[in-house]
Amino acid sequence: MNTTSISEKDAQGHMADVAAPKGRVRPAWWLVFTREMADLWIGGKALNMILIYSVLLGVMVYVYSYNSELSLIPPKEMVYEMLKNAMAVSLFIGLVIGADMLSGERERNTLESMLLTPARRGQIVFGKFLAGISPWPAALIIAIPYLIVVSQGDEVLGPAILWGAITGSVLVPAYTGLGMLVSFWSSSNKVSYFVSLGLYILFLVPAQLPGRAQTGAAGQFLQWVNPLAAVNHFLSKHLVNYRTLAEFWTWLISPVAFAVIVLGILFLIAGPGLRLEAGRSSKFLRRLKPRISTAIILAIILLASATPAMGFQTGNTSVDDLSISIDVDTAVVKTGDKVEFNTVVTNNGSSQSLPLIVAMNIINLNAQGDVVDPEDWSPQRTQYSQPLAPGGSVSHSWVINTILDGDYMVYMVLIPAPGSQDTSSHPVASPGIHLTVMPFTRINPGGVLPYAIGGPVIVLIGILVLYRMRRKQIDNG
Amino acid sequence: MKPNNNHNSAPELPEAILVAENIQKTYGNRKAVKDLTFTLLAGRVMGFLGPNGAGKTTSIRILTTIMEPDSGNFTVDGTSSKHPEIIRRKIGVLPENLGFPRQMTALEYLRYFGQLYSLTPQEAKANAFRLLNEVGLENRAKSLIGSFSHGMRQRLGIARALVNDPVVVFLDEPTLGLDPRGQQELLQLIQRIAREHHTGVILCSHMLSEIEGICDDVIILSSGQVVAQGPVHSVVGNIQRNVARVRVPVENVDASLEVLGALQNVFKVSHNPQMQSWISVELADYDASITQNEKTRNSLLKALIQAEIPVLSYEAEGGRLQDVFLQLTEEVIK
Repeated sequence: MNTTSISEKDAQGHMADVAAPKGRVRPAWWLVFTREMADLWIGGKALNMILIYSVLLGVMVYVYSYNSELSLIPPKEMVYEMLKNAMAVSLFIGLVIGADMLSGERERNTLESMLLTPARRGQIVFGKFLAGISPWPAALIIAIPYLIVVSQGDEVLGPAILWGAITGSVLVPAYTGLGMLVSFWSSSNKVSYFVSLGLYILFLVPAQLPGRAQTGAAGQFLQWVNPLAAVNHFLSKHLVNYRTLAEFWTWLISPVAFAVIVLGILFLIAGPGLRLEAGRSSKFLRRLKPRISTAIILAIILLASATPAMGFQTGNTSVDDLSISIDVDTAVVKTGDKVEFNTVVTNNGSSQSLPLIVAMNIINLNAQGDVVDPEDWSPQRTQYSQPLAPGGSVSHSWVINTILDGDYMVYMVLIPAPGSQDTSSHPVASPGIHLTVMPFTRINPGGVLPYAIGGPVIVLIGILVLYRMRRKQIDNG
Repeated sequence: MKPNNNHNSAPELPEAILVAENIQKTYGNRKAVKDLTFTLLAGRVMGFLGPNGAGKTTSIRILTTIMEPDSGNFTVDGTSSKHPEIIRRKIGVLPENLGFPRQMTALEYLRYFGQLYSLTPQEAKANAFRLLNEVGLENRAKSLIGSFSHGMRQRLGIARALVNDPVVVFLDEPTLGLDPRGQQELLQLIQRIAREHHTGVILCSHMLSEIEGICDDVIILSSGQVVAQGPVHSVVGNIQRNVARVRVPVENVDASLEVLGALQNVFKVSHNPQMQSWISVELADYDASITQNEKTRNSLLKALIQAEIPVLSYEAEGGRLQDVFLQLTEEVIK
């Protein structure tokens, strides 16, 4: 509409003979966006979904605090679970809204009058898409008080909100766009909803695989390639297991690639060809085929360019006179607390050492010496050092986040990395840290109740205020 | 409304505002529209007639740029069909099944569409009030559309079609589902739009009586092709110029056919069951003098009265659009 030709100006000349122009002409996407927003939020669809969502979160947080088994889950895991569920519901809301966007308009016979306006099809689709993702910020804001409650002051809260916002802002638009694409090609709203629901379940499937299948190569790949499972894996490792972004950034590739592909198809291919009947003309399909091929090739290149197995390295073999010391010998903490300590590795020999690996081990003294998986307790299961010169030493810092109460022995093992298949090395153990972890303080169910009930009530009050404002708006014209 | 810049010098021939040439559209092996060619003049109402599946809706969708033709082209106010976005600025459409957002008020609805046609919010609001006034909904401007009756929605739909002050308006079955008063009011409104705004109107309808009543021109489609077109009186006259029609009680139809068939100067007597008790009498020697024709027509009535058959109604001016429609569409179907 910005490229006004002479004929266009003629056409505009037929416009009503009204008062001198005031204000400015709004772009079509903005008009469609505001109308769709009104339809979603005042019409009630988004409001109702958000109300159900807040009730779900309220129930979840109450169950976490009330159920004695669940209440023993460390705050970090609770935050992760809450975030994961909040995101799953938000994605569902986005998908459902997207699924109704075009096929719903077709079915309600309101699409034709839109297509009869001079607004470009791409702008119509863009305006609708923006409105479609509008529930996400609301869902995130509603989730924050619940996250605060279950985090119980744990430092995971900040990263959880940050990464929840980032990953959600990638996935929700992608899912909404996917719903709109399904809606674009569906002949009826019913078909659109069913297909979208099917796709949603399909994305949830990898998370339902048995644990061993998830950790195998195929299972890992399935998880990595599935945007939802990949985000969940990333959040789990980063928020619960203290793994760094540098270690797990590759798990964010598939969500980003998924969003780029879906939105690219929606805005560059499908959107401009929006029409009254479902799908597009054969001319469109002819244009679409090479683009899909390109997108698939790009996706494969992206997938191949980084795999979860990135970063594995090999080393050489050598045995030297090595020692390792620890600066803490005992610690008494509460579940969820952090324990920090340092180790020093020294080469007491007369020649350069092999490359060195220091590995952390945690033994549960209360359970007949059961081994605790350090992955859940520390961001650093192992640390690597370059070969040490004679008399040289290197210091490492370690952090343990106590997950469960009990009596533990923490010790380190220094492993000179063998250099070839036919040699070995002699690991050296450090002194131990006797770690006593006091029981976890449960969330008070009574204290959670105001949040569990208050959240939905506030949303409900918001709905009533919106309706009241709408009534006033109608009265004022 | 439209400034009417092109029509300020008094007696001027109406300009052609919609010109369609050889438009074709095929769905699979079926030709939905074959060689659709016609011209619509400014300020005239053109009826689009045809049985179900004749290609009316497809034709309208092509002309309103919702659908692309396989071949052929058309111009709206000089703009070629190759520029659909410009054409959309010049046309107004009331589709057959127009849905409305129930949560919007009539004023918001028209203001929204006004802005989509590049009006500022203030202009769009003023335009919306003017249109609501024009279609008689000024008192319901702030009512939610969900509370509107069918007739009110149809009037709002017409206001929506006029929101950009179009040069051509397409109305697809605008009176469908309306009560007789609603139909009459809407038809008057359509006529007023054409006359006062000098807008060309294409009116799709199954109601032949309303086409006959308000249309200047008519196109009859059957199986995707035009079987008749031109001014209404001309189409009717050309097809059934020497036909008189008599209505008798249903139980006397057979006897009447026998009596009238026996008369001199009567070429053919026919009864279409769909026309209930109406009998069509095709007169022979149409080229004879008017006096001779009148005598022949009088003899029809005389024969029926002598046979003691009550004459309930009589039309001496030839056939009606309905007869022409049935005849033409029947021929093509055969």
